[in-house]
Amino acid sequence: MSYSLNEVEATAKRATRGAGFAWGLAEDAAKATRWLCAHDLDGVGQLAQLLDQADRSLHVPAALDGVWTGEGALCPLHTGCLLSDSMHRLSSHPIAMEHVATPALLLPFAALAARQLKAPVTLDCDGMTVCTDGHIVSATADWPAMAQTVTVTLGGDLPVSSARKTRATPRSADWDALNRLAHKTYAPATEESRLLGAGAGLSDND
Amino acid sequence: MEAPAQTTIPRRDPATVMRLSRLGSLHQCRLSFMRQLTRRMAKENWSFARPVFRIDENGVGCAVYSAKGPERTYSLVAFAHDLPPELRSDRVIAEAWDATFALFDGVPTEADIERLSQNVPLQEAGRVSESELSLSRANRSVRLWAHVVDRLAAGQQPDFEQIDKVGYLMRTTAVYGSGKFGAADRDKIAGRAEVQAPFQVEMLSVFLTRAFVRDLVEHMAHAKGGDAAVPLDPAIARRLGIGNSTGLGMAPFIVNHPILFNNWIMVREEAIARVRSVSEATESEAQVFRKLLRQSEVSVDRWRSEHPIQIEKLAALKADLSVLTAHVAADDLITDYPWNRLMTWAEGALSEEGQELVASLILEPYADLVDGLTSCMADSNGAAFAIDGAMDVTEVRNLIEESFGWALDLDWDAPENCARAWYVSEEKLEPRMGERFDEPIADYEQPLAPARDAALAYQALNGRQGTIAGFLLEHPEHRHTVRRAQMSRVAPYGEIRDNTISAQVLPIDMLRAKLSFFGATHFDPRSDRWVRICMYAGAPYPEDLTTETADHWVYPQEGAV
Repeated sequence: MSYSLNEVEATAKRATRGAGFAWGLAEDAAKATRWLCAHDLDGVGQLAQLLDQADRSLHVPAALDGVWTGEGALCPLHTGCLLSDSMHRLSSHPIAMEHVATPALLLPFAALAARQLKAPVTLDCDGMTVCTDGHIVSATADWPAMAQTVTVTLGGDLPVSSARKTRATPRSADWDALNRLAHKTYAPATEESRLLGAGAGLSDND
Repeated sequence: MEAPAQTTIPRRDPATVMRLSRLGSLHQCRLSFMRQLTRRMAKENWSFARPVFRIDENGVGCAVYSAKGPERTYSLVAFAHDLPPELRSDRVIAEAWDATFALFDGVPTEADIERLSQNVPLQEAGRVSESELSLSRANRSVRLWAHVVDRLAAGQQPDFEQIDKVGYLMRTTAVYGSGKFGAADRDKIAGRAEVQAPFQVEMLSVFLTRAFVRDLVEHMAHAKGGDAAVPLDPAIARRLGIGNSTGLGMAPFIVNHPILFNNWIMVREEAIARVRSVSEATESEAQVFRKLLRQSEVSVDRWRSEHPIQIEKLAALKADLSVLTAHVAADDLITDYPWNRLMTWAEGALSEEGQELVASLILEPYADLVDGLTSCMADSNGAAFAIDGAMDVTEVRNLIEESFGWALDLDWDAPENCARAWYVSEEKLEPRMGERFDEPIADYEQPLAPARDAALAYQALNGRQGTIAGFLLEHPEHRHTVRRAQMSRVAPYGEIRDNTISAQVLPIDMLRAKLSFFGATHFDPRSDRWVRICMYAGAPYPEDLTTETADHWVYPQEGAV
């Protein structure tokens, strides 16, 4: 089945929230997932993989300065948000981080930084390098489930173009996983909400 | 913004404009999305066709209506159904409708029509594809439909009084666009000149729906009356619009799209400022205003509502109109910044309904100052989503103060200030609003209380130093609020300056703000959270669309003399 990117974004946002993330992080996760899908990468699969392990308590970088590390593996959503929030630092030095879960999810945040800085950004993930200016992205091999070391640098070599998609075709197991999490954000219907929540009132059949 | 026009009078303060009671008093104007569409189609000489009309004598079948512009064709694919009365409901909980529609990007083949016939009638339960730009449905006005079919079948025209009482033969409910249920994303069409402005696809869909509904009622009259049946008098047909029932689901839209909503409001405020800055009007400009004011009186006279709040507002508006008419009779409306004088007078003399009617009406004589602004109403600023982490926390606090200064001292724990919570129901996946202290919904609350969240973030930022990136690392729960605060730098009209979860909040104010930009008229709240409106009443049908008929149709011709 193919889905619109708007459906991907809306589902990713709800799923991330349903997995317990703050709304603001869910907004970023949704845009990140959409960006991956629009660039022919399996955003839905990557997010599903992350949210599946999110309850095994992934970590947030302990400090802004130096190499970003946590007490355990870093969450790519928290870390990705910190990366785009810290894009101004890329002009003076690379940003390095250790032990990042589902590192493919860092790429859209690097892309966001590149678009804002109007310059390519290169992400080195255990020796696999990916460069993007936010619009074009260089080819990637399979993304690992965990990266030991990730370095983000301003600059890099871009191909002249890269694949773009206007639809997403996720694996149904991944799509279902996101929808199960999204479901946790829905309030169970009660008779009261059915009548009042959407606003009863005067007749609508006249 | 468009070509720099001289404005000596500034735009109105967001603190004034963005109050819910004022947003809930907005009227259509020449920036409205329906009028943008009809003006463009007339100017570009679009052509219209009905390549398919296969409806049987029971009113069941399908039809295709095509609109051909300079570069592309768009087609409404309509399915007519025979709906038992007990199933007819406009509410989102409905599962069947009198008619269902998709707007197809191009001209559909028989295979497309077949595919759509399997999905469009199911609405939310079906799937459409990237070839479809919108999905919608409509129900008959039972009262008026039967009356019109019976009269036409008997060779007579319907009763004008009955027509005015209802105003439309069918009401659309949801008109889904932008990638919903598998349809094409906005990205697919955002670069096309003819649909670059907001909601042009949806407005086109309703414009064509109106033609279909007229044809269908004539078809049904003919099926019933045979050769005795007559077609609908064009003057009566023109008076008929398409109704729309809009529920709570639309209210969160203006909160969830602060940049887009800002662009609508800011463009209108810029247009008002430009016209207020006109130092001297011409006689003919003043005449345009006077004529449309008279026509507005006719329109307001036809505006009916049974809702106590709207009944009161309508009474105030009618009183405003008589004061306004007397005032402008004694004014030349030509010398000494006439429109600024009028606006300033209105602020002291009229209700918010009346003030906003004046604000919309003064734009009418000034197509040259106003219409170019329509290209600034879409949201093309995707970059505003990015958080500037280098910003100092003090600056974020200042931004919050700017939009939400009024909210910072409110006691947000007091039940009356947080009585409501917005949530999404499991049943229909639609936004709803409930009572926080009476229903088990707080755990499912949607982020639709920007003022409360701003107050919370402001408190958390108190005493902090350094960059906002460092703060957000520790406090991701304030991320959405910090994003909005930074967006306010480019979107000063992006935030509602009222409490969207208070015990007194009226979601219909949010609905009206949005619908007024569509160009809707005759707002008729059916409760505090859903509203009926009329679209395209008075508009030309496709075959009558010319540059003469394309713009002022919203003002009843009957008032023109």
